[in-house]
Amino acid sequence: MMDDIAFWLGYLTNGKHLTWYASFQFTIFAALAGGGLAVVFGLIGATLKNSRFWPLRLIGSIYSSIVRGVPDVLFFLFFPLAFEQGVEWLMATQLCTPETLAAQSAAWPPCKDANWFLGTPEYLILASVSLGLVYGAFATNVIHGALRSVPKGQLEAARAYGMSARQVLWRIHIRQMWIYALPGLSNVWMLIVKATSLLSLLQIADIVLWADRLGAPNFLPTVGLVHEDWRWRYYLVLFVFYILVTLVSERAFGALMRRAGRGILSEAR
Amino acid sequence: MKKFLLTAVALMALGTATQAQETVRIATEGAYAPWNFLDDAGKPAGFEIDLAAAICAKAEITCEVITNDWDSIIPNLLAGNYDVIMAGMSITDERLETIDFTQNYFPPDPSRFIAPSGAGIDIATLEGKRVGVQGGTIQAAYAEANLAGKNTVVSFGTADQAMADLGAGNLDTILADGAYLEPVVSASGGAFEFVGDDVMIGNGVGAGLRKDEAELKTKFDDALTALKKDGTLDGLIAKWFDGRGPYFAE
Amino acid sequence: MERFLAELALFAPAVVFNVYFAAASVPLGFVMAVFLALGKNSANPLISRLSRGYIYAFRGSPLFIQFFMVYSLALSFNVSLWKPMGISWFVLHPLFIGPLVLVLNTAAYTAEIFYGALRAVPRGEIEAARAYGMSQRQQFRHVIWPNLIRLAWPAYTNEVVFLFHATAIVYFALPVIGQQKDLMITAKELFERDYNAFLHFSVAALYFLAVSLVVFFLFGLVYQRLMRHMPAAPGMRFAPKWIR
Repeated sequence: MMDDIAFWLGYLTNGKHLTWYASFQFTIFAALAGGGLAVVFGLIGATLKNSRFWPLRLIGSIYSSIVRGVPDVLFFLFFPLAFEQGVEWLMATQLCTPETLAAQSAAWPPCKDANWFLGTPEYLILASVSLGLVYGAFATNVIHGALRSVPKGQLEAARAYGMSARQVLWRIHIRQMWIYALPGLSNVWMLIVKATSLLSLLQIADIVLWADRLGAPNFLPTVGLVHEDWRWRYYLVLFVFYILVTLVSERAFGALMRRAGRGILSEAR
Repeated sequence: MKKFLLTAVALMALGTATQAQETVRIATEGAYAPWNFLDDAGKPAGFEIDLAAAICAKAEITCEVITNDWDSIIPNLLAGNYDVIMAGMSITDERLETIDFTQNYFPPDPSRFIAPSGAGIDIATLEGKRVGVQGGTIQAAYAEANLAGKNTVVSFGTADQAMADLGAGNLDTILADGAYLEPVVSASGGAFEFVGDDVMIGNGVGAGLRKDEAELKTKFDDALTALKKDGTLDGLIAKWFDGRGPYFAE
Repeated sequence: MERFLAELALFAPAVVFNVYFAAASVPLGFVMAVFLALGKNSANPLISRLSRGYIYAFRGSPLFIQFFMVYSLALSFNVSLWKPMGISWFVLHPLFIGPLVLVLNTAAYTAEIFYGALRAVPRGEIEAARAYGMSQRQQFRHVIWPNLIRLAWPAYTNEVVFLFHATAIVYFALPVIGQQKDLMITAKELFERDYNAFLHFSVAALYFLAVSLVVFFLFGLVYQRLMRHMPAAPGMRFAPKWIR
């Protein structure tokens, strides 16, 4: 009995498990930052798509269809690599001399000085940006549709009051757009939450990596508790964790929609 | 805007350059006990982490040990995310084409096959079996070249994952470093046994560096020579491999 | 240019694996989804609860975790179940367990689409069928199903493309056997050799894009056939909503 209690208490005091619990911060950070950026990119994309100037419209459309046409994981891996190489190329144009260029034996970076070190914080930020870019393309469509759903009469009334185009856009159009965009954005949020499970692919020691390491069979007492393959139990915990996050998000979006929907005809919802 | 960008880039470069001078970053896998693993505090520990500390003390440099997945450990070294690999990596001609190695810090050690006890596997005439390896290791290359024709070679991300599949009976045998398997076999209480002849591949384990890091390589080599001479290295091998060796001292 | 063509050829065997994973899981997922959708709509509270719970759990958690969980779970039953039955080599093979997890996953998403369509079937048509004296079975066969599939088809097309995209993570979670490598593993291995992220990942992306377009085209043909009784069959647009 005492042994059992001591065993289960071990899950609260064992350093490896504490690191696992702490690694939830990476997942939460990536979800929140990725979600925020997705809305920003979505707004930019929708503005581009609505633009009167056709090249901008084209850019908006290309962004939203290309990014959605390839798997999220592909873009998720590609963007941080491409960004790193882009920065290193920029650094190379400033820092490399012919001698250092000649001295470089590896394929990349161009010279030794033009090397940008990526640690967990950098990867985490890049991962969030690429989540934002990928799901911003989805948000672009949602927001584009929502902007068109705002009743024309509202905008005409605003113009009749003598508001400038900018005022109409910010005070009326975008304000009223949210109520139409929220259901779609809630979908995008759920996608982002689920995509945060991919962080370990970018060398971030996230919850998935720790679940694998902690659950792997262990034979050596020096390493930790000796046990057989326990991985599925750890994955089950993550499975339940994500379902709970979905549940909470759904509730939160429900409340948000009710609040945003105050004073708007129910047919709009 | 352009000026700002360039300043930012220059600052970043300066930051990384000074950082690089201050600390040497050593990458390890953290899933290859007793070479390297994550201890109960969640920090890297093991033979190579102790050795890294000894080398850095001897060479009077500051070191920092970080973890990186095995399958991308060489690419990320080349990309400059760290300066040294110490992850039970054997020195091979193929790897020497892309990276440099210090002198070995673990003597050439045979790779061995293990199987569940009493399975009655004959390695010499292995056919129609499922052979587990860790992807990107010398054993994976060996199995691909010599066993793949008549058997199924299954590669895993970590050695522990392969062990899990062997334990669950999804593999017939595993080919891995003898020094990794020995503690497993002796701790398994007779569940696993060594089978077949040992295979001699690789030239011992060394620390991997980029080819342009001649200065750092010299520092590491000098420190290793000193540690071999004063017996520190053999002491660490004895400590982490249960006094089994192999040792450098004759 | 030559390099690019050589690259295309290099990826050609890899795309077969992605197409296989999707093609193997679409039909089974479809059938399972129909039952789940009917189950969710069932008057029996137990069946309804179970279907609802299943759909919620598999839509609410990442596919990546589902892969890891199902594989390690299957592994832990190996000694007691699969081994004695002699199907161990089959059950734990990525070419089996990959589609298995994809089926479990896509069935939940597809069921939600079908359930939505089921609720949108015009009441009047069902009432008319009942007035004609049709049995439950006949009602489903002649009234509910044709309506349901027409309503659900655009969203279902979308889901199939998503499923195809999801095949990209199969080998990130499962062991690789011999030379059986899909587009992502191929791209990653080539990248690790020469650091040309732009070339390798773009070619993989091109393959994904091309197959997605083919799926859209084929499913569009089916949609036109489904809607052939309409005066002007609405053509299907590339990327209708693209949200799962």
